[in-house]
Formats: sequence, structure tokens, C-alpha cells
Amino acid sequence: MITEVLQQVLNGLAIGSVYTLIAVGLTIVFGILGIAHFAHGSAAMSGGYLTFILTERLGLGFFPAMAVALIAGAALGVVLERLAYRPVRDAPQINAFIIALGLTMILEGGNLLLFGPDQVVIPTPYQRVYTVGGLVVAELRIQVMLTAALAVAAMAIFVSRTRAGRSIRAVAQNRQAAVLMGVNADAVATMVFALSSALGVIGGALVGALLAIAPGVGEGLVVKGFAVLILGGLGSIPGAIVGGLVLGVSEALAAGFISSAYKDVIAFLVMIGVLLVRPEGLLGKR
Amino acid sequence: MLTVRELRAGYGNVDVLHGISFDVRPAECVALVGANGAGKSTALRCVCGLVRARAGSIEFEGARIDHVPGHRIVRRGITMCPEGRQVFADMSVLENLRMGGHMRRDRDQRRDLEALFDMFPALRPRARQRAGTLSGGEQEMLAIARALMSRPKLCIFDEPSLGLAPKIVDEVERTLARIKANGTTVLLVEQNASMALRLADRAYVLEAGNIVLEGSGQELQTHPEVSKAYLGY
Repeated sequence: MITEVLQQVLNGLAIGSVYTLIAVGLTIVFGILGIAHFAHGSAAMSGGYLTFILTERLGLGFFPAMAVALIAGAALGVVLERLAYRPVRDAPQINAFIIALGLTMILEGGNLLLFGPDQVVIPTPYQRVYTVGGLVVAELRIQVMLTAALAVAAMAIFVSRTRAGRSIRAVAQNRQAAVLMGVNADAVATMVFALSSALGVIGGALVGALLAIAPGVGEGLVVKGFAVLILGGLGSIPGAIVGGLVLGVSEALAAGFISSAYKDVIAFLVMIGVLLVRPEGLLGKR
Repeated sequence: MLTVRELRAGYGNVDVLHGISFDVRPAECVALVGANGAGKSTALRCVCGLVRARAGSIEFEGARIDHVPGHRIVRRGITMCPEGRQVFADMSVLENLRMGGHMRRDRDQRRDLEALFDMFPALRPRARQRAGTLSGGEQEMLAIARALMSRPKLCIFDEPSLGLAPKIVDEVERTLARIKANGTTVLLVEQNASMALRLADRAYVLEAGNIVLEGSGQELQTHPEVSKAYLGY
């Protein structure tokens, strides 16, 4: 019994670390710029597809391919911010929301056009499986968790330790005071989107390696990402990390012990339960 | 140093400033006084590039700055200590001060930090503390220190005494007097007109978006209309 629970927790942590990556990207855009970036999942999937093409068709290794996709993803983030979100920045929030929905359709359509309707799995060399004290440990799952942890840690260090990161925090805490200190708030918005999309692309590539990428997966992922955002506490990066892992683990436990058909239902029940007790989210501020 | 001519500005369909003109000369302390809603803060926000002028001009050291974006104003040598302090609440005191020197590339910042901690000794033991946990008076001192970190030629204060205990207001007044004595040019907006007029070399009285009176701080302190309307005697 204990082994089975641990097994499901381990499986849940792997997919949970992908949810975390998606949610951290969403939470920095929401927390700093106040935008509900619904197209984030679809942008992440573009990166996943690109990683697939680079590995499958061009024979690049998994990590080099992901690095290329990450740069392309950051560039896509810059384009989205400049062309889509910046023009509506001073407009009522509903405008940015409509833009986000439109962008989702454009990106999903673009993915379909560029990469086709087929489900793809990104090939990786990490196919070994270890058995540790009765636990089945897939090498790929470990790689996924380590990559996600590394990406989130790199982002956290950038935001907390560098001058550019400090200017991001300044805009998040008090935009007007930040401008008075000489911070270019437009440049910060661009930087935040680049960071967010880069993290999303890593998430997309990891989903493609762990499960599969297909049309619609990105939209499903962004819904879970927002669920994590609310679960963890809006705008909180630690909340997104914990929330993503909690969602992944509760899904895996539900799939393992109840029914995999109900795993989404149970995951959202957990979320509702948490919000009933802590309406501000796990690590949110009251 | 700062020359404002026929400045008009406002929000939405409403004009708040109806063509005001004022000057700030080097090493001077100039105050804008007036009732709530007279347009004092809007005038400051125009100078700092946070609100666009609808007409008129703002010149600083001989160059027009009315179309310079807000984040570039600080590089010209103008810093504002905003109304309501507006410290970065989740950053430490030290990080707030470093934000003040955000645009600086020189190596003297450490020395300036030391000098500011000497000037505001209450901040030194709190260097690592979150700014949001400071008292109102300490936050005001931090906001002033943060503004000074950019080594401004013109330092603007928007209602620095607002919402502070009388003892702290005295401390703010002494601090502003010191900043002025150090040779920094000061532009001050205050509802506390008696404090503003004591500090100011010259002052302008704003009423409903127009300048209605102008004179030395001392003249205005004894001016019958000013004393009746703003000083309460």
C-alpha cells in the first residue's frame, strides 16, 4: 500500500512539475502585468512541436533542441507582448482578456497549420527504468523533474539577484514609483513575457516527452495552469510551485486509486476544497 | 533651472491646470501651496513625465522635457519623492535604496549609501528589513533617502508630511532644510502651508488650476489672504 502511494506520488510529481512550469509562467504575467494570458498553453505547445521537429527531423539531442525552442519561445513572447497586449495595456481589462482568447485561437490554428493534426511524442534517450525498493523510477520522469526544477530556480535567481530582476519586482510592487526610479515599464513587460514564454516552452517540450502533444493539449494545460494559480495564490511564485505539485500528485493519486477517468474531477475537487478553507490560496496573501 | 510656461494638463475630459507658469532657480527651494484639488500634484506629475502636458512647455536646464517619457526624467537629474511614500513594500530597505540608484553606473553608490544611513540613522539597523514593515515615519525617511540616491539636481517632494505624526512632520521639515542646505534644488508641494512657507525661498499659491499669488516664503506667510485661507490665523 505504502509503496503504491509513493509510486503515485512520484508519478504525480513529474507531471506536477510540468504544471508548475506552466503556472509560474502564467503567474509572473498575471502578478506583474495583470494579464490573464490564456494563450500561454498554446504558445508552450508551439515550443513543444518545435522541439519535436528539431529532434525527430533534424536529429538534434533533446536538450539542445529544447534550448533552441526556448529561445524561439522567448522571441514569441516578445512578439505577443508588443503586438497583441501592449496596444490594450491602458484599456479596460476585458480587452486584454478578449485579446488572450483570440491569441489562443490564432496560436492553435498556427500550430495546426505548421505542425499538422497528428499526436506527436518527442523522442528522448532517457528510456531506462530503475527499481528502488519496490518503486519503479523512470529515468525520463527524473529528467523532467530536474529540468523543471532547474528552469524555475534559474528564473527565481534572475528575478531575485539581478538588476533587471529587481526592476521587474519594482514594477510588480509599484509601477509608478518604479518609473520614477528610471525603470522602463515597457521593457519590463517585454522581459516578463519573454521569461514566461521561455518557461512555457520548456513545459511544452516536457509534456511532449512525458505524454504527447496534440491539438487542444495546450488549452487543457492552460486551464490547469490557471487552476494552479488560484490554488497556490494569485501572483505568488512559491504558490505556483507548490500548487502545481499538489495538483499533479492529487491527479496521480486519483488515477491510481479511484479511476483515471475521474482524475481531473478529483483534482478540481481538491482545489475547491482548498479554496473553501483558504480562499486566498495555499500561499496567497490575505 | 526649471521653467514651466502656460502648462495645461488634466485627466479625461477635465482640465486640472489652466496654463500655469512657474520657475525654479538653482539651489532654490520653491513651494507650491494650495487647497486639495488645486492641481499641485498634477503639476509635479507633469514635470516628472507621469502625466503629459496638453499645452505649454516644461524646460529643464535649457532643454524641453515635456515629451520625455517618465523613466528618462530621472537621468536628466530630476527625482520625485512621491505622495504617500510609495516605497517598494516587499523589498528590503537596502534594495529600496538601490532602486533609487537604479540608473547610476558609477562606483560611488556604496559611499552614498553610507552617507544616507548616517543622515537617516533609524534606517541603518533596518537595512535588511522589508520596507512594508516600517512605520509611516520611517517609510517617509526611506522614500526621501531613495530619492536622494539618484543624486538629483532637482528633488521634488509631493506632500512629504501627509498622514504623519506631528513629531515626524518636524523631522521631515528638518530633513528638507538639510537637503536644501546641501545645495540640492527643491520643489515642494504641501498642504501643510506653514511648513512649506518656512522652508521655501519662494512660493506660488494655486487655486483651481491657476496661480493666484507668488512671492517669497516670508511675504506669503504674512500675506493676509494666504494666512486666512491656508495658515488658519
